[in-house]
Amino acid sequence: MALVEACGISKRFGGIVALDDVSIVVEKGEAVGLVGPNGAGKTALFDCLNGVRHFDSGEVRFEGRRIDRLPVYQRARLGIGRTFQRLELFAGMSPREHLMVAERVHRADGRLWKDLIGRGRARATVARVEELLVELGLEEVADHPIETLSQGHGRLVELGRALIQDPLLLLLDEPASGLDTRETAAFATILLEVRARRRTAMLVVEHDLDLVRRVVERIYVLDFGKLIASGRVDDVLAEPVVRRAYLGDVT
Amino acid sequence: MTQFLSYAIPGLPYGCVFALMAVGLVLTYQTSGVFNLAYGAQAYASALIFYVCVNAGWPSWAGFLVAVAVVAPLLGLAMDRFLYRFIRSAPVLVKLVSALGMLIAIPSALQLIFGNQQRLAPPSLWLPPSSVYFHVAGDAINGTELSTVIVTLAVVLLASLMSHFTQIGLRMRAMAESPRMVQLAGINSELVGIAIWVLSSFLAGLAGVLLAPLFADLQALNFTDLLVAAIAASALGSLTSLPLAFWGGIGLGVVQELLGGYLPSGSVLSSGLRPALPFAVLIVLLLALPGLRERWFHDDPLAGCDPPPPPMATTIGGYGLEGFLRAGSWTLLAVFFVSCLTWVPGNWTFTLTQGLAYSIVFLSIVLLTGMSGQISLCQASFAGIGAFTCAQLASHFGVSVLVGIVAGGAVAALVGVVVALPALRLGGLALALATLAFGLLADNVGFQFAWSGNGNSGVNIPRPQLGSINFTSGKAFFVLAFVALVVCSAVVLAIRKGTTGRELAAMRGSELAAASIGTNLVKLKITVFAVAAALAGVGGALYGSLQGTVSPDDFNSLLSLVFMVVVVTTGVYTVEGAIQAGMAYVILYQVLDYLPSQWRNLFPILFGLGAITYALHPEGVVEWQRRRVVEIVVDWRKHPEAVG
Repeated sequence: MALVEACGISKRFGGIVALDDVSIVVEKGEAVGLVGPNGAGKTALFDCLNGVRHFDSGEVRFEGRRIDRLPVYQRARLGIGRTFQRLELFAGMSPREHLMVAERVHRADGRLWKDLIGRGRARATVARVEELLVELGLEEVADHPIETLSQGHGRLVELGRALIQDPLLLLLDEPASGLDTRETAAFATILLEVRARRRTAMLVVEHDLDLVRRVVERIYVLDFGKLIASGRVDDVLAEPVVRRAYLGDVT
Repeated sequence: MTQFLSYAIPGLPYGCVFALMAVGLVLTYQTSGVFNLAYGAQAYASALIFYVCVNAGWPSWAGFLVAVAVVAPLLGLAMDRFLYRFIRSAPVLVKLVSALGMLIAIPSALQLIFGNQQRLAPPSLWLPPSSVYFHVAGDAINGTELSTVIVTLAVVLLASLMSHFTQIGLRMRAMAESPRMVQLAGINSELVGIAIWVLSSFLAGLAGVLLAPLFADLQALNFTDLLVAAIAASALGSLTSLPLAFWGGIGLGVVQELLGGYLPSGSVLSSGLRPALPFAVLIVLLLALPGLRERWFHDDPLAGCDPPPPPMATTIGGYGLEGFLRAGSWTLLAVFFVSCLTWVPGNWTFTLTQGLAYSIVFLSIVLLTGMSGQISLCQASFAGIGAFTCAQLASHFGVSVLVGIVAGGAVAALVGVVVALPALRLGGLALALATLAFGLLADNVGFQFAWSGNGNSGVNIPRPQLGSINFTSGKAFFVLAFVALVVCSAVVLAIRKGTTGRELAAMRGSELAAASIGTNLVKLKITVFAVAAALAGVGGALYGSLQGTVSPDDFNSLLSLVFMVVVVTTGVYTVEGAIQAGMAYVILYQVLDYLPSQWRNLFPILFGLGAITYALHPEGVVEWQRRRVVEIVVDWRKHPEAVG
């Protein structure tokens, strides 16, 4: 059984067809890339997978179960973690607090009465948070306000916030955008370590093909809302139809 | 048909005034990104100055020149240059609170200057008010109504001619589309911005002068209602379209009078629903128009092109003074408690007990706005719900007052759940306006029934009794209020430290991300609104029991605005902030009571101006000063010779 399976997803925004009958599959523990020119519908597909947007037709299964009607938070609790192309961080909180809140929500500690009788605090959280901060190399900036940190740190905090919930599937939306070459390489290394250690399945939207090559096993290519190719990275990128979509007509 | 017309036509003058205001609001919002809530105060300022001039024997054209052509633009320009200009890309709360501060401070400042006596029969701008010119469908059209309609049409015609056929008009329209693009096109956008402020302030002044004679006397409160009507009208145009805002204003005025005509006269429905119509329209529009929601959700027209504001100051730490500071606050608390029970005179104990009750209400603002980022402008109404529930239970059903106080909190929490429902879809400015409208609805309709607030006569609440303990004496009630505040503070602190508090902070930071980590925003928002409303309800009930009698006036919407400004100025992020705000509020009021009555207007002025400091010091005045002291102490410890 596939981990996540999207069948025939279509989504229109007014007259624009953002997604046209797109089907993708990610197996357990597998890393898959999703590439395509800007406006191809990559983020729209992500939004449909994690529930930020509803789609017009098609269905999404997670571990064999239909999840299209579930709200965002329930899909998150099932094990779909996500990062954002435009960073969505919690203003005013430090990296440590970002991980802390995600960990607590994950353990479903959010009961008001537990807080009121002082049972909402747990020791185990702290150890897990510290461990992950070290793993991501964030320990030095762990207590700085998030606004004072760089884009690169922001991307790592988003990754950590998703990872601490032990997701089965991680949706990474352009993790390298806004990072320089060195930071991108470091980020790819971290992703590889994460994969090696946790076997988390990943679906990665990315323009940086070096990162894609290093991290994923196979890719899907979207263009104008249509799936135009899929398969092993180098084979797919060599296909004329993909080169045309990315580079225009090459004669 | 004739009947329809006879009801509709008297609505036209109101509609004209609403329309003028709506157009001005949209104009400045589009070009400066600031939703100018002080607009109502600007209208009031011109109306008052016009009144004063004409009463001093000036001809009305001279009064018009001074009040509308000179003072109004100057006032608007001053606000833009000295305040709004600096906060254009600031968070919604900063902009909102600064504007609220002005809305509260300006009328009081004017009353301080010109006296706060009652001003009857405001003069008409042009034609004599009492002479009847002609009849339409049985309606006698008098001078006030006629001049309002004619002047409005003339001004709107002129303005639209200007905007379509002159250079500056073209630039203004371009500004409304995109202020940044205008700059890039090589136009001095600051100058065009100034022109727009002048024009919109002129419209506000004109609207104020035209509106005044439609009421029997000149009251600042009428202009706040006018403001909300104008907001509703501009919402009809999705806050972007000037013509739609204009026709929305006209329509609102007419429908309001139609309602008054067709509803059974004399009932609470007709006396309450008619003035409440704009608020109801506003709530419905906010919820129904998706474009409007998107727009306000993403906050302001300049978002994305101006740099984000500097990060909020985090808590001080690392100085090794935390233990000392904590011990200091506990000592202060103990001294305060013992003093109130021993040497403090009775009237001051009463005042400080009021402060404790207000502190509980203010805790709700800390929980809702400071900790969760939800801006609610109806917390005084929740306090009212608590107080009236307790009062009705105690005086009509013989329920013990202590039980009544708890029941007041519970009923307020239920209403809080209802108010949370729009909050599920709205955020930022839209939520603030929706809650403001809810508060005005409560004022005008909800609290007017005999079974609720009982209109102006109010309801009695006795002091509570628990077994053999009687809380009638001032000191006993002080202890009760103190215990209640400690319990409520403990609740807020527990929420803050627990998982819920962190989830609230996450929601404040980014709703999208909070949902993506598995936070149930629906449940969280409903919970926080309910708990906050309960706190306000308990505080209101305690306040009522202390006073002995409560009427809707004790909890009017203007008070909600004042509460927000007071708490945000003093410190909206901490529990201490709420308590300091409560105490500062009553102590200042009591101190001003020793001054001549006119000086009592200093109170709103101080807090109104204080609100401006929020833009620079979001941590609040008290915390800001505390940090300064700590820094001086730390400096002195490191380099004793440099300071001495």
